[in-house]
Amino acid sequence: MPPTAIQPAKKSAVGVKVPHTTTERLLILLSRYREASIAVVAIVLVIYFQVGSDGGFLSPQFMSVVLRDTGRLGLIAAAEVMLMITGEIDLSLSAIFSIAPYVMALLSVTWGVPLALGAVIGVLIGILVGAINGIITVRFRVPSLITTVGTLFFLQGIVVSIYNSQPIVAPVEQPFNAIFGQSLYQPTDALLSWHGVTAFTPFLWAVLLVLVLAVVLNRTTFGLHTIATGSNIIGAREIGVRTDRMKIYNFMIAGGFAAFAGIINTAQFTSADPQAGSPFLTLQAIAAAVIGGTSLLGGSGTVIGALIGAFVVASLNNGLVMIGAQATVSDIYLGAAIIAAMILSIQVDRLRTRRRV
Amino acid sequence: MSTQAIPPLAADAPVVLEMSNISKSFGAVTALVDVSIKLRQGEVLALVGDNGAGKSTLIKILSGFHQPDTGTIVSQGKEVRFASPRDARAQGIETVYQDLALIGDLSVFHNMFLGREYHKRVLGLNLLDNRKMREQAQVYLDTLGISIPSVNSTVDLLSGGQRQCIAVARSIYSSPKILVLDEPLAALGVRESAHVLGLIQNLRQQRQVSVILIVHNYNQIFEVCDRINFLHSGEIALDASTADTSEEELIRIVKSGLGRKAIDAAAAEVRPGLV
Repeated sequence: MPPTAIQPAKKSAVGVKVPHTTTERLLILLSRYREASIAVVAIVLVIYFQVGSDGGFLSPQFMSVVLRDTGRLGLIAAAEVMLMITGEIDLSLSAIFSIAPYVMALLSVTWGVPLALGAVIGVLIGILVGAINGIITVRFRVPSLITTVGTLFFLQGIVVSIYNSQPIVAPVEQPFNAIFGQSLYQPTDALLSWHGVTAFTPFLWAVLLVLVLAVVLNRTTFGLHTIATGSNIIGAREIGVRTDRMKIYNFMIAGGFAAFAGIINTAQFTSADPQAGSPFLTLQAIAAAVIGGTSLLGGSGTVIGALIGAFVVASLNNGLVMIGAQATVSDIYLGAAIIAAMILSIQVDRLRTRRRV
Repeated sequence: MSTQAIPPLAADAPVVLEMSNISKSFGAVTALVDVSIKLRQGEVLALVGDNGAGKSTLIKILSGFHQPDTGTIVSQGKEVRFASPRDARAQGIETVYQDLALIGDLSVFHNMFLGREYHKRVLGLNLLDNRKMREQAQVYLDTLGISIPSVNSTVDLLSGGQRQCIAVARSIYSSPKILVLDEPLAALGVRESAHVLGLIQNLRQQRQVSVILIVHNYNQIFEVCDRINFLHSGEIALDASTADTSEEELIRIVKSGLGRKAIDAAAAEVRPGLV
C-alpha cells in the first residue's frame, strides 16, 4: 500500500505518529511548553548575573528594581500578546502609558479629583483609545501597524502640548500610592512586611493581571474566539465568530493594560511625565512577547511567556549595567535575543507541522 | 438511470426552504441573477455548475455570510433575513464551506464546538468545559465512524480527508434541518467519500434532513440526490429530478455551456416535461 493510501479505521493509524528521536521529543516539549523553554533562559540569565555581580543581583533592593521593570513591561507585553494572537499589533501603547496618568495627575492638581477616581478615568481613556484603534483598523481596513502609529503621534502630540512637555508633580495619597506602585521599603524592613511587599507591587499587579489574562485566553469562549480570529479569520467568520468584535475588544484590553501600567509608573515616581512612555517601551514589550514565545503570525501566543520575556528583557537592561557593562550594550543582547527567539519560534512551528509531532 | 435506488421523496413532503428571486453583485461583478430554489423536507438537492457560476455565492447567502441585494428567503414557512452565519445556524441551517472553516491552531474538539461551547461555572466564572467537549467530540466521532488519532490534536496536523470529515461531523452535530455542503468530497479518497455519502443518506432517511450538495462528480449526484439544479452564469439553467435525467444527459447539458433559454428550448423540443 502506498504511504498516501487511507489506512483502515483504527486509532493512531493515520496522521500522528509516536515520536521516537530525541530531536522530535525536544520539539514537542518546545512547542507544547514554550513558557518552560523561556523560563530556562531566564534562570540561566539570573545565575549568570548573580555570579557576575558577586551575589548582588538577587538582593531585595536590586530585585525590586528588576521586578518593577518586569511588571510595567509585562503588563504591556501580555496585552500586546492578545492582540498579536488576533493578528494585529498596537504601537500606540506607549502614548496611552503617558496620557492616562497625565490626565489623572492633571485632574488631581486642577480640581482636586482623588487619584483613585483619576486612575479609573485614566484606564477608561486607555480603553477608549483602544476602541478607536480597533474600529479604525477593522471598519476602515487600515492595517493596525499604521492606525496605531497614527494614534501614537496624535496622543503624544496632545499630551506634550498640554503643559509644554512639563511633568506634573502628582500628589501622594495613601494608601493609593503604596498599593499602586510606590515603594515604602527601607533596607531595615522585613521582606514579608507591608513595606516589604510595596517594593514589588508593580510586579504583583502584573502577575495577577497576567494570570487573569491567561485564564481568559485558555479557558473562556473569548480566548477561543481570539485564537480563531488570528488563526483563520475567514473560517472563523464563516462559523459565526464575530472576528471584528474580537479584534476591537482586544485593542480595548491592550489600551486598558497600558493605561494601568502608566498609572503604576506615576504612583511610583509621584510624577506624571508626558514623555514617560517612549515608543521604545512598546518595542521592548513586543520584544518581551516574542522572546516569550509568541509569533507575529497570529493564532497562537502565551501571556505567561510574555511576562517571563519581560523579566528577561528587564534583567538584561539592569543586570548588564550591574556587572559593569555599558548601558547601551544591553540593546545588542536584546536585539540578538529577539531575532534568535523569532527564528526558533518559526522553525519549531515548521518542523512541528512537517513532522506532525 | 441511477445506479442505486434512492427511495422516492414523499409526494407531500413539505417545502422547508424557498429562496426566491435572489440577486447579488460584488461591485461590477454580477454573481447571481434572479435565482430561485426550493427544497423539500428530506430532499437532497445537487447544485452543479462551472467555476464562477455562482454556486458558492448562493450558499453563502443561505448561510448568512453574504446578504442578497434582492430576493427573499422563506424558511419553515416564514420569511427570514440572515445578518450573520449565527442567524442562519439559529434557523437550523448548517453549512460546510469549501475551505472547511476549521481553525488550524485549535484542537479537533474545540473546532467541533466552536461557537456553541459548553461552559461550567467555576468560582462564579463562566469557563469552558473542555472535558465535556472532549468526551462529546470523541463519542460523536466514534458514532459516525470517523477515525482520527486524537480529538486533542490540532487540526493543522490532520490530513485533508480527516479535516473534511471533522467539518462534516461538526455541521451535523447540532441536528440541523437543512445541511449545506460545498464540495464535501473534494479531498476525500474513495472509501472516505463513500462514508460521507453514507452519512448524507442516513441523515436524509432517519432524520428527514434536507441537504444541498455542491458536487463536481456527477456519479455521486446520481447516488444520493433527488434533484439537480444547474447554475449557469448566475442563473438556474436547469431544474430536474434525478429520476427523469440520466448522467449522460446532464453531462451533455453542462458541457453545452448553454444558458437557460437555449436549454428550455432544446428540452421542450426533445423531451417535453423535463424542465
